[in-house]
Amino acid sequence: MSQLIVKTEKLNFSYSKSKKDIDSLDLEVPKGSIYGFLGPNGSGKTTTIRLLLGLLNKNSGNVKLFEKPFANNRIDTLSKIGALIENPSLYNHLSARQNLLIASNYRGNIKKDRIDEVLETVNLLRVKNKKVKTFSLGMKQRLGLAIALLSKPELLILDEPTNGLDPKGIIEMRELIKKLNKEDGITIFISSHLLSEIEKTCTHVGIIREGKMLFQDTVKALTTSQSDQLQIELETDDKHRTYDQLIQMGFEIKNIEHEEHLLSVSVKEKSQIPVLVDSLRKNDINIYQVMIKNNLEELFLNLTEN
Amino acid sequence: MTVITFYFSSLKNEILKLKHTFALWLTAICALLIPLLFFIVYTIKWEGLIPEDGVNPWNQYANEQIVNSLPALVPLFIVLITSLIIQIEHKATAIKHLFALPIPKSSVYFGKLSIIIATVFATYAMYYGLILLNGNLLGSMRPQLNFSEFSPEYVFHIKILFRSFISVLGILAIQFWLSFRFKNFIIPLGIGMVLVIIGLIAARAPESIYFPYSYSVISMNPLDEKTSDLSLFWWLPTVSIYSLIYFLVFSIAGFFDIKRINVK
Repeated sequence: MSQLIVKTEKLNFSYSKSKKDIDSLDLEVPKGSIYGFLGPNGSGKTTTIRLLLGLLNKNSGNVKLFEKPFANNRIDTLSKIGALIENPSLYNHLSARQNLLIASNYRGNIKKDRIDEVLETVNLLRVKNKKVKTFSLGMKQRLGLAIALLSKPELLILDEPTNGLDPKGIIEMRELIKKLNKEDGITIFISSHLLSEIEKTCTHVGIIREGKMLFQDTVKALTTSQSDQLQIELETDDKHRTYDQLIQMGFEIKNIEHEEHLLSVSVKEKSQIPVLVDSLRKNDINIYQVMIKNNLEELFLNLTEN
Repeated sequence: MTVITFYFSSLKNEILKLKHTFALWLTAICALLIPLLFFIVYTIKWEGLIPEDGVNPWNQYANEQIVNSLPALVPLFIVLITSLIIQIEHKATAIKHLFALPIPKSSVYFGKLSIIIATVFATYAMYYGLILLNGNLLGSMRPQLNFSEFSPEYVFHIKILFRSFISVLGILAIQFWLSFRFKNFIIPLGIGMVLVIIGLIAARAPESIYFPYSYSVISMNPLDEKTSDLSLFWWLPTVSIYSLIYFLVFSIAGFFDIKRINVK
């Protein structure tokens, strides 16, 4: 098993006595991974991140970062981490460059040209002397990322990094995350409430609900665990004939109640889809669309919604 | 890096953060306000203010601006400036960022505290500088006022300004801790204003020697009648010592409170 950059054991925390906000959480982030920390709003993602960074005082349990207990190695550990927690902490009355300068002064061991380098990475070099208050939400988010990257961290912690980004920004952020992981070998820990986000970027995934870890493994393992059944949705010109035809072929069907023109069919593997289509076409049924449903989405909802 | 280098880089950053802020303007406005008022009054009503022969005009002119005007204003200024300077962090939601940096939390806390003390000190310096400048201007504009004939009693002025400055350090530490702790700046501001007003009202009661919000008044108008003669003022009266004790206790206890706080 590879080295674990982040490891928590039976981590517990509550803001108030009545409710456990983090409940016996075991988190394991392997070195070199892109770890997606997934959960609905209010499930404890940000709380966990704050516990990892020592911003909140845990009630019990252990936090180990880089295989050392965090509490005894706070400064040494934090020097290897870049973090962007919720909305970025930016001084609006200063320029992008001045904000980076402040972060670099605090850290102390950062070369002068590194500021331009990270500005280039997040594509803000052109506006480096503009005051942050004139920035859009997406630009602020990117500047927050630049600050997190400043010290060339070994571990990058990003809390909902695509919040407030437009579709183009989201794609750029996704590519940047992959690039940082691949080229610079940075281990990346991302929290998100969007499964699609995690699925497209991450190698590992942890799913959290009400402070409890529900599932933790590689994204591949999550996908294979669901691949024995593939749900597809069909739209044709004659729902009833389609239904009969599919029954004859031995498929398992269920009506989709809220969308009357659609039929939902379970197939064992993708190769069954063209067979199914051919047979419908032979019976002169017109097919308007065939759509593979994302089971992960359903799994996520099932896991987190009970 | 040692704690000292962390502290100095923190100071450097605090200065950078003050750029283009209202806090900076407030210090300038506060330092300017009263000297400007006196300057206008002296220019307009100079005829009634001509001193008798042989009397140093600087004494009345400077004493009124220092002994009579400062006690009520400085505590209000401290409450405002402390909230405003820490609000720079709260507005940027920067506490979470600062406390997740690989630096001791003490460098952030004491760096900020130092810069607020320096700001207050700078305001005092500007205030006295303006009093001197205006006096000299008046001297050349209205020679009858005799400002040019005499020189100000620098040591005495600096002594009473120093008494005033030390006497407000206690409430500075209290307000600093409150402002750091509460994101909502209405809380430290509200608490501070109420306590300042109580301090002004209660300043003549003998018990007010234990109430730091009265110290600014007491430092200029000692409770003990025997020492209230201006010429008997010394550098460190009891009230200053009490203020320093409050300062030490609240800045250190405040730090240990902030250090273990849950940053939400």
